[in-house]
Amino acid sequence: MSQANAQALSPQSAAAAPPRQRRQTSDRAIAWLFITPTIVLLVVMNIFPLFYSLYLSFNDYSVIGSEPPKWVALDNYEKILTSERQRYWHNFTVTGRYALLSVGLQLILGFGLAMLLREKFRGSGLITTLILIPMMLSPVVVGLFWKLIFDPSKGFFNYLIYTNPRGGAEWLSDPTLGLWSIVIVDVWMWSPFVMLLCLSGLSAIPDYLYEAAAIDRASAWFQFRRITLPQVMPLLLIAVLFRTIEAFKAFDVVMGLTGGGPGDTTETVAVRLYSEAFLGKFRTGESSALAYIVLIIIIAISNLYIRALNRAREG
Amino acid sequence: MATIELINVEKKFGDVHAVKPMNLTVRDGEFVVLLGPSGCGKTTTLRMISGLEAVTGGQILLNGRDVTWERPSDRDIAFVFQFFALYSHMTARENIAFPLQAQGERREVVRQRVEDVSRLLRMEHVLDVRPGALSGGDQQRVALARALVRHPAAFLMDEPLGALDADFRETMRAEIKRLHIDQHATTVYVTHDQIEAMAMGDRIVVMSDADVQQVGTPAEVYHDPANLFVARFIGSPGMNLVPGRYVRGVLHLAEGATYKVPDAWAPSLDAATRGDGDLILGFRPEAATVGVDSAIPATVYATDLHGGYTMLHLELGNNTIIHARTTREAKYAINTPVRFDLDPAMVRFFDPATEAAIIPEVRA
Ligand SMILES: Nc1ncnc2c1ncn2[C@@H]1O[C@H](COP(=O)(O)OP(=O)(O)OP(=O)(O)O)[C@@H](O)[C@H]1O
Ligand SMILES: [Mg+2]
Repeated sequence: MSQANAQALSPQSAAAAPPRQRRQTSDRAIAWLFITPTIVLLVVMNIFPLFYSLYLSFNDYSVIGSEPPKWVALDNYEKILTSERQRYWHNFTVTGRYALLSVGLQLILGFGLAMLLREKFRGSGLITTLILIPMMLSPVVVGLFWKLIFDPSKGFFNYLIYTNPRGGAEWLSDPTLGLWSIVIVDVWMWSPFVMLLCLSGLSAIPDYLYEAAAIDRASAWFQFRRITLPQVMPLLLIAVLFRTIEAFKAFDVVMGLTGGGPGDTTETVAVRLYSEAFLGKFRTGESSALAYIVLIIIIAISNLYIRALNRAREG
Repeated sequence: MATIELINVEKKFGDVHAVKPMNLTVRDGEFVVLLGPSGCGKTTTLRMISGLEAVTGGQILLNGRDVTWERPSDRDIAFVFQFFALYSHMTARENIAFPLQAQGERREVVRQRVEDVSRLLRMEHVLDVRPGALSGGDQQRVALARALVRHPAAFLMDEPLGALDADFRETMRAEIKRLHIDQHATTVYVTHDQIEAMAMGDRIVVMSDADVQQVGTPAEVYHDPANLFVARFIGSPGMNLVPGRYVRGVLHLAEGATYKVPDAWAPSLDAATRGDGDLILGFRPEAATVGVDSAIPATVYATDLHGGYTMLHLELGNNTIIHARTTREAKYAINTPVRFDLDPAMVRFFDPATEAAIIPEVRA
């Protein structure tokens, strides 16, 4: 290793003394040695499943069945997009509504918190850390204890917001409140993440811009609109990108809280996918097709955001 | 248009003075340069005038109005920052329009004024570029345009040419001077470059160690420095300073050399030294003339040709090197003994204890 380094550093001296034929590993070999395990893992864990599931999405197949995959071409996709589209469409609208609500609220709350914590004051470090705690918890744990918090008889959520003094709202079993309760938990858990990104964006804005703006006689609101907002916009968009992708995959918290219920009012695409793939019929082929549709949608949305991001950066 | 008055203005960071109590009156339409080495408090002074920094003592008057505790936006002052401080996410045009839009000017007015000012600075071709893609000179122009566009009462400029290449500085220097003459706007201009200060200022405020050393026209600070610091700092090279002992009209320099002080100076020097004491003789390189039967002996230490003239470095003994300006044609070999005389109107004297210049009782 050290010899290889020495050679790399001083090619002249190596050329001056004719190289003796000795067994030594070249830089290239060492590089390969480091990379190979990663590549093997990547292929086994990621790339193979990716393409195998793509293959399965064109087959009629169930992992618990005894039959081998049977090629059906686009039948699975057709089923999802035509004959069974009503319920799938419902899953997508639930997911979309959920994504819109939770990402929107997270942005407002996260950005607001970041603006408040932007100025350093006594204990602001501690407060920031405390606010970040929800983000670090396991989603399953979060789902479980929020289930208790939402509980109409034992939980304190209703008590906090004073709904209906006689018997509070049934958050998790009410068809309209069900989605809201998931949104509330997601906002509680992930606003800190948006706040963290915004804080780093805000702290990157140099003070002299505000000094210049003060000299230019800009009001606080004008400074916010014309300096603060555009300067954090790239990070804000990154937050939106991350949170939207996450929202489209919303699964763990939903399962922990409502399991998709009541009925299928909170059944997100990911929850549906799970029930298709692993509950009851184990419809592997069809669920692979659904997974690919979700993947395509996520890629499309990400692309839109990234384009917006580049525009925000370059103007 | 405005006058700016500083009355005992001071700034302390903790126990350390960044600016010691300072008095200065900038007249309407005047171009005043704050000159001094790095860290002497020039930026701090400017920031206090603009309101970006709160004073820790004293008063600031703008047009006679006490603005000491007013916000920057209430002072109607434009500031050109040391490193431009352009809005990086806006184009040059948006940067320049910003102060107008902040005041809620109408769209057509904004467009017209931005156009006018960019024509004035000859920068129409860069209006749609962002600062990051602009050259230093063009960033400088954007910064100036943003300051000019609002027609403020006064301009504060913090080393606006500091970030530019040497040859481009000369061009921009002339441009700023020209702008000042056209607009006749009261300007306080900071620099640590004494050539820039001499070239641009109506008056120069020489600062050092958080304190004002001298306030005067370029000619005053050049010919009549108030103390040794100003004498050394102004001019390149600075004033020649030769220590000696003054005894009744004659200054005894190192190694037996003597210099008979001009008659006009004798009474004030007698008074300052009570007839016998240490003094420092100061003169500019152009005050010395080398001649065959001149008074003061020296040896040639080195010579540099500066295009139009030759700078002689002469050793006086005691390792004192002085600089003398001679004609381009003059040629002297190294180590040649020479003699030189001083123009009696151009010699000055300093008290080595206080470092202050000795003021002649009656100027000849
Ligand atoms: N915010 C601050 N806190 C503490 N000390 C400061 C602060 N700002 C400036 N100083 C100190 O005040 C002194 C004067 O600083 P100032 O920036 O005014 O110098 P300057 O003359 O503009 O120098 P330069 O030519 O390097 O720009 C310096 O010693 C500096 O360290
Ligand atoms: Mg400075």
